[in-house]
Amino acid sequence: MSPPPIVNTVNLVRIYQDGGVPVPAVRGVDLKVEAGEFVAIMGPSGSGKSTLVHMLGGLDARTSGEIWLDGSRVDTLSESAWALLRRRKIGFVFQFFNLVANMTVADNVELPALLAGASPREARERREYLLGELGLADRADAAPAQLAGGEQQRVALARALANRPSLLLADEPTGNLDSRNTRDVLRLLGEVHRDGQTIILVTHDARVASLADRVVSLLDGQIVDDGAVGPVRRRPRASAGDVVELRS
Amino acid sequence: MSTARASARWIRADLRARRGQALLTVLAVAGIVTALIVSVTLLEDGTNPWRGLFTESRGAHVWIHTGNAPDVTALSRLPGVAEVAGPYRTAPVTLTLEGKKSPVALRGMEARPPAVATPLVRQGRWLRPGDADGVVVERSFAEALGLRVGASFPVTALNGASHPLTVVGLADTADQGFYPEWTPGLAWTLTSALARIEPALGRSESVTGLRLVDGENTLPAVHGAVTLLDDQIRRMSTWREVRAAMELDNRLLGLLLALFGVTGLVAAALAVANAVGGRVLTQTRDIATLKSLGYTRGQIFGLLTVEHGALGLLGIACGLVCGQLVAFFALDGVPLLPPSPLPLLLIILGTAAVVVVAAALPAWRGGRTPPLPAVPAAPPRGRLSRMARLALLVRLPPALVLGTRDAFTRRTPALLSIFGLAVPMMMITIGLGCWATLDDFLRHPERVGQAAALVVHPDKLPAEEAARLAAADPQVRAVYPGAEVSALEPEQTRTVLARALGTSAEPYPFRVAEGRMFAARGEALAGQGLLDLLGVKIGDRVRMTVGGTPLIVHIVGRVVEPDQDGEVLSLGMDTLAAKDAVPPQFYSLVLEPGADPAAVRARLLAASGEKLEVARVVNPAERLSVIRVVIVALIVVLSLLGLANLLTASALGLRDHALDLAVLKAMGLTPRQVAATLVTGTGLLVVLGVVAGAAAGASVVTGLVDLQGHTSGVGAGIGRAPSPLTLTVAVAVAVGAALLVALIPARRAARAQVPVTAR
Repeated sequence: MSPPPIVNTVNLVRIYQDGGVPVPAVRGVDLKVEAGEFVAIMGPSGSGKSTLVHMLGGLDARTSGEIWLDGSRVDTLSESAWALLRRRKIGFVFQFFNLVANMTVADNVELPALLAGASPREARERREYLLGELGLADRADAAPAQLAGGEQQRVALARALANRPSLLLADEPTGNLDSRNTRDVLRLLGEVHRDGQTIILVTHDARVASLADRVVSLLDGQIVDDGAVGPVRRRPRASAGDVVELRS
Repeated sequence: MSTARASARWIRADLRARRGQALLTVLAVAGIVTALIVSVTLLEDGTNPWRGLFTESRGAHVWIHTGNAPDVTALSRLPGVAEVAGPYRTAPVTLTLEGKKSPVALRGMEARPPAVATPLVRQGRWLRPGDADGVVVERSFAEALGLRVGASFPVTALNGASHPLTVVGLADTADQGFYPEWTPGLAWTLTSALARIEPALGRSESVTGLRLVDGENTLPAVHGAVTLLDDQIRRMSTWREVRAAMELDNRLLGLLLALFGVTGLVAAALAVANAVGGRVLTQTRDIATLKSLGYTRGQIFGLLTVEHGALGLLGIACGLVCGQLVAFFALDGVPLLPPSPLPLLLIILGTAAVVVVAAALPAWRGGRTPPLPAVPAAPPRGRLSRMARLALLVRLPPALVLGTRDAFTRRTPALLSIFGLAVPMMMITIGLGCWATLDDFLRHPERVGQAAALVVHPDKLPAEEAARLAAADPQVRAVYPGAEVSALEPEQTRTVLARALGTSAEPYPFRVAEGRMFAARGEALAGQGLLDLLGVKIGDRVRMTVGGTPLIVHIVGRVVEPDQDGEVLSLGMDTLAAKDAVPPQFYSLVLEPGADPAAVRARLLAASGEKLEVARVVNPAERLSVIRVVIVALIVVLSLLGLANLLTASALGLRDHALDLAVLKAMGLTPRQVAATLVTGTGLLVVLGVVAGAAAGASVVTGLVDLQGHTSGVGAGIGRAPSPLTLTVAVAVAVGAALLVALIPARRAARAQVPVTAR
């Protein structure tokens, strides 16, 4: 039996109440994301893409429908249970970086690891590794405000990866960056993905989306298009049969 | 555990980012705990040496002075009596040192110190069997007269014979109060020596002490003794009078501190709640980030409560240390007992509970922050507030209008800020009122019943001569003859002071707070303490024994009475029996306005050839001058609290309007106008809070001081509100300082590049 998909949503609906008027943001989304996939969710402003990833990470509550993460149902979890789940399984990258302003870069990156129960030494080793990989080793003691936007987003990425999450959710990670920094961050995301990281990325930028394996287009809260971009990259543990199939 | 590590990192980083504010919280809480602990120490008689002396000497609760030695066996069988001290024979003698005569009660003791009411020898030694001329002197008496071990102690007995004695030791006792509050001075000698000095038994009295099982319950023993000994009793005293005599004026101070402490606690709770609430609002994004990283609602709540609560607890710990130190140093030299554990525990737990609750309420709201960092925690927007519309109506500059609008965009924090500033300001006003009352005492002593600045005792001169000399001085406006005798209250268990001054036709200018001045024989005025003691009202007639003469006294008024806890009966000389009134014991001199009492005193002494004894009247405010130090210290603590609230309000205003600043600049406001907008926003809250606090303080201060006067026996009618000038200056200083403090971050914000980002 094949492993369950990392993410599986069934008829997911989110309706906001705005002054008593129901405003549907997500209207019945069925999305399946396999382990190791890099999925871009595209759509114009207000199409419900951010709401969708927020629901996948438990930051927003669904109105109806089901969410399955790693084979278990999670939409019925309480807020606290979601929080505990996020610690272990989900990494978030936001448009505005959302680094804790008072903490140093090092502390920002170590925080999730400590929260998940790592010893201070493990957390420090992991942080040193991640910041080294992302080219920020020398900025460990800086305050977030001292960093440029691209650097801040790289720190945010390091923080999201601190606990080796099964799912990385990125909400417009390049929305606030110039093109050079955008390129850097995307390159990093690509590298992380090549190492087997499952990524769901929200963007309204087609160039950013083109980096993904698969682009899901959202319009008015519904999936209007779902297709692979270029050759589907398989996860490293793919079988030899897959390779043969690709070459044929 | 894992959360603890992560939380510790967060708390450390957060505290580092706002050291000043954190320090302010710690200092404010520490100041309040200090005030509370010092007040408890004072109120609990921790500073009253009586408690320590009584315990150490195994003192007697009741002392009975009788003519002949009473039946000890019968006394020891009285209800509640555990042990009996004495009876000791005591003879009145006069000590003459360098021409100055002091009455002494010479008490005969054995060479072996008694088990009950043991004199506590502090210097030298106790009497020995061969000490024919040795005497042990009560320490406060010896200190007042400058006597040391080895000094000579020449006494004259009633028969005129002189006896050169020598001081062999100084001892403390809880048998009577300190000299000179309690006279005559006490000295112990061997019974054999006493028999030699005063051979006549009829000229001495017998003193017996009763140690009770339950010291609180003296009445059965007192009544039993009265029934048993009846007319043999000359005088009785209980431990309460001794304790009261040893008491400094600490009670008033303690009450003042307690009032400030408790109200300060409310102010501190507000400051903490405002600080945490403001912090939660300014950190909404960080808190949301923490949640997205996996913090649960409860963990955020715990994190915030622990962080801010810990500051409060640190403050409590500092306050505990400071409280002990202040009590130790401020009351230098007074043997100090630590306050008993229960009130201390109550203070600690109470303050801790208040601080933790004050931190927990906003923290709970912080815990409910949605984990979606993108949702900006913007203030409710929309229409202009009523205040802002009013400001527009009167065509104020735009910066003011915008600031006015900003002030109330968040209603609850705005109200909390106003309240948080109003409470310290109210307490500061009350402190200034106490100050004004003290000033009033000093400037107008006649208003506290001290019209006379000097008291003249004829001493070696005939009374008429003394009166003539005093009246002859150009700066003496009036001379009133006076006498003080003891009066037995109707139940005859306590003596109070009866003070005759002036006559019914020409009464001394007592400060009559209620009722009227006495105008006929048999009429008298009472202090509040006496009214409370007797349970009578003005207009009642009371049967009292005044100076040994039974008298029905018609109480026609109440005077402001600063002496003896207000337990004083004031009457005219003509009401006293002739044996007490003629000749007068002393004369009270009312001086011309502006006269210097010291100069008049010197003139009188010179005119009489040093034969008169002229004493200055001690103003109660002089004894209370330590209150001024306390008031200044409290004003500092309260200002810290106000400052803490102000910083919160200012930070919150800045945060709420950071985005607007960019818009305002884009609209063409100069940095100065932007700063003015921000300062107005904070300043309006400050003005409202300070004015409300000052008004509230000024309206209650007179009542509070009078209430204190009433309970302490002095009586209502002494309270003064701070003068309008003082109040105006205080308000102006508070508002001015607040605006200056608000200006610094406002200028910085106005000049900073404001990034246009979501919050």
